[in-house]
Amino acid sequence: MRDGISFARKGIPAVAIVSTAFWAQGDFVARSLGMPDVPRVRIPHPVAGTGADAMAAVAESIADELIAVLKLSTP
Amino acid sequence: MTSTTRVTMLHADSEHDAREALDAAGCTDGLPVVIPTPERVQRMVLATGIDADMVLGEIGPSYGVATIEKVAIAAVMAGCLPDCVPVVVAAVKALCRPELDTAEMQATTHAISPLLIVNGPAREWCGVASGFGALGPGHRANMTIGRAVRLVMLNVGGARPGVSDMALLGHPGKLAMCVAEDEAASPWEPLHVSLGYQSDEGVITVVGTEGPHSVISVSDADDPSSADRLIRSLAAAVANLASNNAHFHRGTVVVVLNPDHANVLSGAGWTRNDVQQRVWTAAQHRRDVLRTYNPAFAGNGADDDLLPAVQQPTDVLILVAGGGGLYSTVFPSWGAGGHGNPYVTEVIDLGQACAIPSIS
Repeated sequence: MRDGISFARKGIPAVAIVSTAFWAQGDFVARSLGMPDVPRVRIPHPVAGTGADAMAAVAESIADELIAVLKLSTP
Repeated sequence: MTSTTRVTMLHADSEHDAREALDAAGCTDGLPVVIPTPERVQRMVLATGIDADMVLGEIGPSYGVATIEKVAIAAVMAGCLPDCVPVVVAAVKALCRPELDTAEMQATTHAISPLLIVNGPAREWCGVASGFGALGPGHRANMTIGRAVRLVMLNVGGARPGVSDMALLGHPGKLAMCVAEDEAASPWEPLHVSLGYQSDEGVITVVGTEGPHSVISVSDADDPSSADRLIRSLAAAVANLASNNAHFHRGTVVVVLNPDHANVLSGAGWTRNDVQQRVWTAAQHRRDVLRTYNPAFAGNGADDDLLPAVQQPTDVLILVAGGGGLYSTVFPSWGAGGHGNPYVTEVIDLGQACAIPSIS
């Protein structure tokens, strides 16, 4: 989340990918750092350690949303 | 407490109602608190000898501004005696130092919390225990100093479990983890003197650690291997293959020797530096061994590379505390954060402190 905010502050389009278990924390960090609307996309939890096939499926499932959000945040 | 220097005044019909309201608002550590009435807070501020609105710094993850007044509020809530508040102030100054990575320490899923180590005259001034059971119940200064620091982390730093403090389980030391070094029982100079301070300075050393891990070692005056065995036992805990340090190879690990164990090592002719060096050297694992536990962290080097639990011997902090006996204690750590989990020190300024009667 903070990485996404750091990129956004530099004017570089960025989307934070946040798992459901950390969604509330993402909101908290975004508010604390003064960028409550910084773009983010939700993925299931856990992803790490679920295996290459499962991770590829998650990536596939969010690809369109990720690109759409990136386009929105591109100046 | 907010992200500004201002504080919010709440109203309640009774102390009971106030306690319940603070708990419902998430402003407590889960235990009943002393209500920080304006009178109590003003007296605690007075005990610091510093202006209420003096800013000590910011604490993440909410980046609240830590003022003397907010620290005093936390100290009142924690049940601190006024004599202890200079230690709390020094600890909060440490938390505001960037190298401690307090925001990340609070947010991580790892079970890490600041261990507060008190040296010098502040030990007597504040009554911080260093002997039998010093980290356990029954020592008001230790418990309330540690608790006040945690309340600052909660209410100024904004670390709330499951939202902004993502520790998966945490540990009880997150409530309070404060101990003094037993300088009189140590065969070596006090820790803060080894770190470059004068013996008559009060110093707090703050480092994020896990909870205490017990290390058993039975020494025998007739057994010349006693000191070596003790070093290997300590190193086994420092490089515990389930710890972050073993796999990340950095951070600060704290070794609290009981006085008997300290005397065994000193009796072998070893200084504090010698012990640091020996523990560090023994706390290493081969890469192929590490790979069998956590291949994701093992890297691509040679199988027979020896990888240390922390970067250098000085990352093993050695102090003496607790009762004499078979057990010493190791605090493994996190080994993460932008600065790699170092310790930081701050002077405890007793020169400003003002002795005032106990707060009712």
